[in-house]
Amino acid sequence: MAVRRRLVLGGAATGAAVGLAGRADAAPSYSPAHHKGAPLLSPRARHLVGRFSYGVTPALAKQVRAAGGARAWFAAQLDPASIADPAADGLRDWWPSLYRDATDLWNRQREEIEGVWEVMADYQRWVLIRRIRSRRQVLEMVTELWENHFNVPVNGDAQGFWRAQYGDVIREGALGRFEDLLIGVITHPAMLINLDNVSSSASHPNENLGRELLELHTVGRGHYGEADVKDSARILTGWSVDMWDTFQAEYRQKWHSRGPVKVMDFTHENADADGRAVTRQYLRYLAHHPATAQRVARKLAVKFVSDTPSQALVDHLAKVYLDHDTAIVPVLQALFDTQELAESVGMKVRDPGEDLVATYRALDVRLQRPPEGDGGDRYAANALLWQVDGIGAKPFDWPRPDGQPIDNRAWSSPSRLLASMDVHVSLSGGWWPDEGVTYHPPAWWAPKLPVRFDVLVDHMSQVILHRRSTAELLEACCLAVDVEPRERITRDHGLIKWNMFRLLTTFLDSPAFLTR
Amino acid sequence: MNPTTTTQPCCPEFARISRRGLFSGALALAGATTVVGSAAITASAAASTPADSVLVVLSLRGAADGLSLVVPHADPVYYSARPRIAVPADRLLAKDGMFGLHPKLAPLLPLWESGQLAAVQATGLAAPNRSHFSAMEEVEDADPGSDVRTGWLNRLIGTDAGRSPLQGFNVSGGVVPTSLYGPEPVMSAGNVASVHIPGDDKWDLTKGRRSSLRRMWDGNSTSLGTAMKSVFDALDDFAPVIDTPDHADAYPRSDLGRALSEVARVIRGNVGVEVITVDQGDWDMHSDLGTAERGWLYNNAADLAASIAAFFKDLGDQRSKVTLVTISEFGRRVVENASMGLDHGYGNVMFLAGAGVKGGKYYGTWPGLTDDGDSDLLVTTDYRSVLAEVVSTRFGASTAAVFPRFQPETVGAMTSLQT
Repeated sequence: MAVRRRLVLGGAATGAAVGLAGRADAAPSYSPAHHKGAPLLSPRARHLVGRFSYGVTPALAKQVRAAGGARAWFAAQLDPASIADPAADGLRDWWPSLYRDATDLWNRQREEIEGVWEVMADYQRWVLIRRIRSRRQVLEMVTELWENHFNVPVNGDAQGFWRAQYGDVIREGALGRFEDLLIGVITHPAMLINLDNVSSSASHPNENLGRELLELHTVGRGHYGEADVKDSARILTGWSVDMWDTFQAEYRQKWHSRGPVKVMDFTHENADADGRAVTRQYLRYLAHHPATAQRVARKLAVKFVSDTPSQALVDHLAKVYLDHDTAIVPVLQALFDTQELAESVGMKVRDPGEDLVATYRALDVRLQRPPEGDGGDRYAANALLWQVDGIGAKPFDWPRPDGQPIDNRAWSSPSRLLASMDVHVSLSGGWWPDEGVTYHPPAWWAPKLPVRFDVLVDHMSQVILHRRSTAELLEACCLAVDVEPRERITRDHGLIKWNMFRLLTTFLDSPAFLTR
Repeated sequence: MNPTTTTQPCCPEFARISRRGLFSGALALAGATTVVGSAAITASAAASTPADSVLVVLSLRGAADGLSLVVPHADPVYYSARPRIAVPADRLLAKDGMFGLHPKLAPLLPLWESGQLAAVQATGLAAPNRSHFSAMEEVEDADPGSDVRTGWLNRLIGTDAGRSPLQGFNVSGGVVPTSLYGPEPVMSAGNVASVHIPGDDKWDLTKGRRSSLRRMWDGNSTSLGTAMKSVFDALDDFAPVIDTPDHADAYPRSDLGRALSEVARVIRGNVGVEVITVDQGDWDMHSDLGTAERGWLYNNAADLAASIAAFFKDLGDQRSKVTLVTISEFGRRVVENASMGLDHGYGNVMFLAGAGVKGGKYYGTWPGLTDDGDSDLLVTTDYRSVLAEVVSTRFGASTAAVFPRFQPETVGAMTSLQT
């Protein structure tokens, strides 16, 4: 049936019936057409920029070209203050409680005005939309990496009161020195609350933070023993928070465990009642430890190169890290120039957050500021959180201190694929979210109308995937919407009238889109 | 929208779980259901092997108060510690010398009296953990001290030599529970009816959606390509479930009722699914728990009992295969608080129902209650001992593989395997 209909359509529409009867049994040719659109980045530049962003859009490609290429773009990205970012700067205003301090949030919760869990949902939305809109894409990527490395889950009894500021500390330090970042996060009230340091005292030490600091944040297992953990916790005693009253940070000298400490090769008399100085010295020691250098280097390599980086690459990055006083930017620069990165095209799976953000970017979905209160619930800026939840991971929702996985396998389950496709289809159709959002109408995706289908596919491939179409993609598109490669698409064609979502989602469900 | 957010300012973390459930409920079930495929299913479509045993793990999220569900009426501390919320002894069902069931568990009496329902009191983790999230994590991982993230149910599936393309279904579409996390892949979809590829709909006359995806993915050997292959294979195997009638009308119109109706449908489809988990929230009763006559726990107990009773009635010829276990991340305090609620505690009750259960009896060792302000019901039976007994008797699985480094103690609540 379908074949016969195609023949009739083809004959009638193009008038190029020559040889049709003779070719009826032959497979159609899926050689891709060439649409001359805006200039594309080179495959190598697309790969590099794609790896360090939430998706290469036409707008981003233009910025890369204006910067003078991928490397120059990357160099500018490493100095985020040099990049004006108005679309992201104003975003926090959409959820004014993100500006409130801990005491204020606690009082509002106590008075049943607003629960901190609601503020945290807004924080998750804010980071997602920052990633969609910000021109400082590398800063957002690296911030996300550290915010997972030093994971303080947004869902918790009390750390939520401090959680947004905690994210700010990480964003401010994401491209600075690891040493400063480490000191900033370990002594931050959100971390102190989350890993129980707030109740850790000389008489009743709590080892939670002291242990995770070694195991997760710095040197990793195999470099310390239980005695080290005990002294690690002792060093940290005193850093606390006025829990369930003002929630203000406070240092409690009376709780600090004085006396000599030894953690691995770090020793200190620790004679002072105020342990803040020894804490900073200890954290500096940890930041500069070769095992920490290895872990930081490996984390960056797994996030930005592949799940199985060579030891040579890790060693190289670790050396750069130590040679530059734990500064992160030189490590990223070194990584950017490696052959191993250049050869890792498409080797990283987009996790749920990266997938959702890239989808909003690729479809150029426009979000409006939601009104406060229940009236804003259906607005896309709020509803997108439930979409990413459906795929399997809201930002910083991972309940454990180790942060959500950054490897491919964790995000390659069948469940995740079905859920991703569900989100792709609903956004492609513009069906959900359906308030506070603007989708492009189907005809927008055609460079002109009428247009030949293979030309349309090549155009969309450039816009959505930033690469030319292939025979495989063209055939997949033909199958998805039951259209012949050279079919003429008019404004009244079924593809424009009701089937564009099937075509759009084919690009989004492709291997090219689900990897970076 | 969510009663827990207004009544429990101290537990936002838990309230958020419930809220997430409600929101995803717009698209799917509010009660999350997860279905894991049997390792016995072969890779070829429509060649699935029926499972010999099915385990349903019902998680009562938020920490249900086991002392209200299985009341220790002969322990005088119970009544002195709970002057306002205790369930009077003369209202209890299925009483023995120490325990009795909450009156709203009446729909479960036929199961109890026919020997298909048992309770194990004073169960829990080896050491207290009062954080909802980390306790759930610990309960579901069930391998303390290991940094390998695999849940006990994932390990259970892994004990079988076969590999199923029908790896699993998380019917809420949400985060995979820790118990299922691990090397065995898991699938998710809104509910049974929506276990399909989005866009593969009835208006897609040429089935172009599937062939299009296959064109892009069949030659792809990455982890994503493997997962996509599982999607295709699993969906074909799952087809009999979609053709199985929906009996939701016979259940309470609650999240749990709807979730269990979906579970029963999966089981009746008989495609070889062996393990199903159901998460049901809303047990975190820090305030206004209610009384034996009305209130929050009263309503929850009624829903729990009616849903489970409807579930077993609905199983038809599959009923003899199915064992249901309830679990909660921890129990609640012995002493009621100033808000007529109960704060986070320790020991709890587990129910066992269905196939292989030596029912009509209360199991466990009663430690006795104490009533200083912070006292807990102590744990005398590690929850893993209960699960290990189910796993070994119903699946013949190695308990050492499912619960590494754990020596189970005999509970005696299950009949031995294949008698």
